Amino acid sequence: MNNKISLEHVTYRYSVGTPFEKTALDDVTLGFEQGIITGLMGHTGSGKSTIAQLLNGLLRPTEGRVLLDGEDIWAEPKKIGAVRFRVGLVFQYPEYQLFEESVERDIAYGPGNMGLSQEEITERVHNAARFAGISPDLFDKSPFELSGGQKRRVAIAGVMAMEPEILVLDEPAAGLDPAGRREILGGIRAYQKEKKNTIIIISHSMEDMAIYADKLMVLDHGHVSRYGTPHEVFSHAEELKQVGLSRPQITKFIMELQRAGIPVEGGIYSVDEAYREVLRAFEKKRMGG
Amino acid sequence: MLKDITLGQYFPGNSVLHRLDPRMKIFLIVIYIITIFSASTPISFALVLLSAFVLLLLSRIPPKLVLGSLKAVFFIMAFTAIINIFWTTGDRLLLEAGPIKIYWEGVEYAIFMIVRVVALIVGSSVLLTYTTSPIALTDGLERVLSPLKALHIPVHEFSMMMTIALRFIPTLIEETDKIISAQKARGTDFSSGSITQRARALIPVMVPLFVSAFHRADELAVAMECRCYRGGEGRTRMTRLHLRSTDFFALAAHLLFLGVIIALNILFS
Repeated sequence: MNNKISLEHVTYRYSVGTPFEKTALDDVTLGFEQGIITGLMGHTGSGKSTIAQLLNGLLRPTEGRVLLDGEDIWAEPKKIGAVRFRVGLVFQYPEYQLFEESVERDIAYGPGNMGLSQEEITERVHNAARFAGISPDLFDKSPFELSGGQKRRVAIAGVMAMEPEILVLDEPAAGLDPAGRREILGGIRAYQKEKKNTIIIISHSMEDMAIYADKLMVLDHGHVSRYGTPHEVFSHAEELKQVGLSRPQITKFIMELQRAGIPVEGGIYSVDEAYREVLRAFEKKRMGG
Repeated sequence: MLKDITLGQYFPGNSVLHRLDPRMKIFLIVIYIITIFSASTPISFALVLLSAFVLLLLSRIPPKLVLGSLKAVFFIMAFTAIINIFWTTGDRLLLEAGPIKIYWEGVEYAIFMIVRVVALIVGSSVLLTYTTSPIALTDGLERVLSPLKALHIPVHEFSMMMTIALRFIPTLIEETDKIISAQKARGTDFSSGSITQRARALIPVMVPLFVSAFHRADELAVAMECRCYRGGEGRTRMTRLHLRSTDFFALAAHLLFLGVIIALNILFS
């Protein structure tokens, strides 16, 4: 497989050597494909966030290797800083990481650490702000004056501006209203289209991932239980239920319609698709008389 | 890494020490500290060290955990020990190399110093912080200090402040860890560069930490007001403290130990 980054028999234990030792991942092998958005899904405690931190070298595997372009990122532990520039990570609720005097300076913090030229930084900041949906008139404001949703976008832009080869986002849309979710996830989608980089979104929203991810990876107890396109993954409803996930609500809704005798096609995973399908069925019925 | 600091963390359990009355434990710790500092002969220092480990065993807390908290003060201990060894003068010369003279007294003094610090940390953490829940601890403190209310000292408010502070130590540590990780992911380098560069690297950690601490304080205040918190006036308690026979037994044991140490001092001086 054409994997950009992968885990190879990775085991990770927290607090090794203390009474609080806990195994978060046990012999996990998985890979993320180059140039697409992969949705990493799984119930709480399935090790999603641990994987995120292993990918960019914030955590070091207790056993096993993390391969970036086929090379072990821990081959030279002193150069792990360089890996963090290649694999960007946006944490869950990243609002708390803002600290600068202005929005612009905060977004520029990451690129600044990479030692880029001033022009390059300015350009990247403007680009990232555009994708994250931050209008330039917010640039001079203090990040602490912004609303929760705006702070989130600034934090995401701060990592996007580093233009990593791989961008990992841990629940980027958690706790936002539907419009906010759409804007952030849509922005990430647009960013991927332009940069052609590899993106991994951790989420447990089936609705969001059905629309924005190219491939889905379902984790269960630290093992990949299903990997494929959203259509492929969602066709295994029973299995999803077993790992504590369920199909999008709209899919269930369409199935209810079918059960009620309305001639709509199944295999629908987003509201847009459902809208077109219901409209089509309606037109057909009207034409048919 | 920050999680390794265990000083002042409650370790739930049901040992003899866990069950002692917090008020009594506060008295016991005062007596114990006096005992540690009144020891002055080798045999009494040995007994003090032994007592710290007896307490450790009684608490049933994993020794590794408690000894781990000694790591935090290891450098201070090593530093004071070295200073004592080189700078204490006495009559019994042990070693002479050029201008450096090391006396027996210095070595003795350094060992005593280390024993004192170890006993102080192990004893007090096992006797109080590890075995007393923060709530019980401040409850006990409030009761012990309640006579000061007559002098218009806001004892209840102080103990409430302490309760809150203790309660939020683990939360803030966790938060700091989280912020450090997030800034590392943005390329902050905490471990190399000059001192000023490293100090500057702390700004992205300190600012969000303060902001969130203030937020938390604000939210907590509102939540407390919503539950009609109005200070200590006329406030009753859910759990009342009762002294039991084991409490008095522990007191007797501590006083006896203090007596033994003082007697040893007089005998061997």
